[in-house]
Amino acid sequence: MSDSKPTQLKGIPITVSSAPIEPPPGADAEMVSLYQAHKKIYPRSVSGLFSRWRWALVFLTQIIFYGLPWLEWGQRQSVLFDLGARRFYIFGLVLYPQDFIYLTGILVISAYSLFLFTAVAGRLWCGYACPQTVYTEMFLWLEKLTEGDRSMRMRRDAAPWSVEKFARKAAKQFLWITLALWTGFTFVGYFTPIHVLASEFAHWNLGSWEIFWTFFYAFATYGNAGFMREQVCKYMCPYARFQSAMFDKDTLIVTYDRERGEPRGARSKKADPAALNLGACVDCSLCVQVCPTGIDIRNGLQYECIGCGACADVCDTVMDKVGYARGLVKYTTQHALQEKWNRSQILRHILRPRVLIYSGILLAIVLAMAVSLSLRLPFKVDVDRDRGSLARIADGGKIENVFRIQVMNASEVTQHFHLSVEGLPGLALASEADVSVESTQSRWVPVRLQLPYEGADPGSHPIHFKIEATDLGKSVSEKSVFIVPR
Amino acid sequence: MKQKLMWIAWPSFLMAGVLELLVFAVVDPQDLNWFGHGFEMSRQATYSLGFFVFWFVTSIAGALTLFLSLPANEVNRSPL
Repeated sequence: MSDSKPTQLKGIPITVSSAPIEPPPGADAEMVSLYQAHKKIYPRSVSGLFSRWRWALVFLTQIIFYGLPWLEWGQRQSVLFDLGARRFYIFGLVLYPQDFIYLTGILVISAYSLFLFTAVAGRLWCGYACPQTVYTEMFLWLEKLTEGDRSMRMRRDAAPWSVEKFARKAAKQFLWITLALWTGFTFVGYFTPIHVLASEFAHWNLGSWEIFWTFFYAFATYGNAGFMREQVCKYMCPYARFQSAMFDKDTLIVTYDRERGEPRGARSKKADPAALNLGACVDCSLCVQVCPTGIDIRNGLQYECIGCGACADVCDTVMDKVGYARGLVKYTTQHALQEKWNRSQILRHILRPRVLIYSGILLAIVLAMAVSLSLRLPFKVDVDRDRGSLARIADGGKIENVFRIQVMNASEVTQHFHLSVEGLPGLALASEADVSVESTQSRWVPVRLQLPYEGADPGSHPIHFKIEATDLGKSVSEKSVFIVPR
Repeated sequence: MKQKLMWIAWPSFLMAGVLELLVFAVVDPQDLNWFGHGFEMSRQATYSLGFFVFWFVTSIAGALTLFLSLPANEVNRSPL
């Protein structure tokens, strides 16, 4: 393998050198893959405290996700991101693209929430709320419904094809595809009114982008939750790679109590582990079988661990069966394990500088966002100078400047506006001063300003437009300039 | 090979999403002149096609990174 004699490669005489690589036993010596071959993981189903929490979160998040598009608010869908009209509707709120800052705010809040939760209690997001976990849990449940639990699935997959195997696999695929399509449909229902979308599907009115994205999202759901599963967390998720930056020794994580468990080994139920010089771990390997990412928690904290607690759940049932105390694999902190802290001591260590800083920043952004949203006026104004001409002479020798004012109505009633201008003596509006803008619409209003001849020196003069929403009694002021030619 | 394709496709997918968000939050495709005249496609179509254009371009960046990070001996052994 490690030859370095000159060879001919595509007719070019070059020296090919290579580092010696030992092929694994049984491998083809010519083709050595540096990557570990992927083995399919068959997670065993589990019940217990953490599993109940996960299912509660699955129900909570999915009732919201599947249900929200069907919820009406007045005459429209309560939450609708209308990309075609460039308006976002969130209950009573109508957002324009100009409100991008709120999206930024939400993203920053999400990021800091994630940091905070992770610092306090590890990968709560991954284990309970991440769509990857939630849909995998749902798909696994459908798989168990049709193909049975881990051992049955493994046996059937190894067995040759039979009518029963085919029927069960077909049933599973049918359920998976149905769920995936419904998920894709719901997702697109956030961007297109879902009733419209439903009738489009009912009439099989194919060919629109909505239908394309429905299938795209359905395919992604099907692939991620049905096949990719833990590989998404292990190989595709950036968060999994940097979550340890938020960890410290007071972070709650799923941990194996090595001191208590080792040396592990099988034993008879009646045997005294102390006499056999054995720890509490009976080495039943159930913790490995239930792990959705296929790791052994007894090897310590690993980046693959999504903190789902399945191993803790299953270990507790085993400890109950053999009559040992629960908590050989448990949700605790590294410090607590070393110092043998009790629950209140763990809780006392939650408030530490890292957590306080994350909470402080989070609180500040949430407050700023709440204040900004509550002070937000339900209309927006943009002033543009007419690009065609700087200034011109109008009837009676007056100097005229032309502007375009965009008035955006961010409410769902027709609003009336009164325009006025100040900044120069004698400056007056020569166009319509009262405009009305219909619900959620925006309008460009042409505005002509006139100044009496020699009303000001040549040059540009700062002026202020005042746009008053007469129904609300609120007004905004926009800066611009009035140009007097030489 | 499959893994390399994922290394290219996945991060570029994420970045295409970010670009889509940034670009179309600020730009209304209907306001633009495309080669001197208006654009006939609907906004949805522009957003959708825009996403794939972004994805394609960002994936080229990923592919180039992967290609240029090949060590010398691998390049010598198998130019592509």
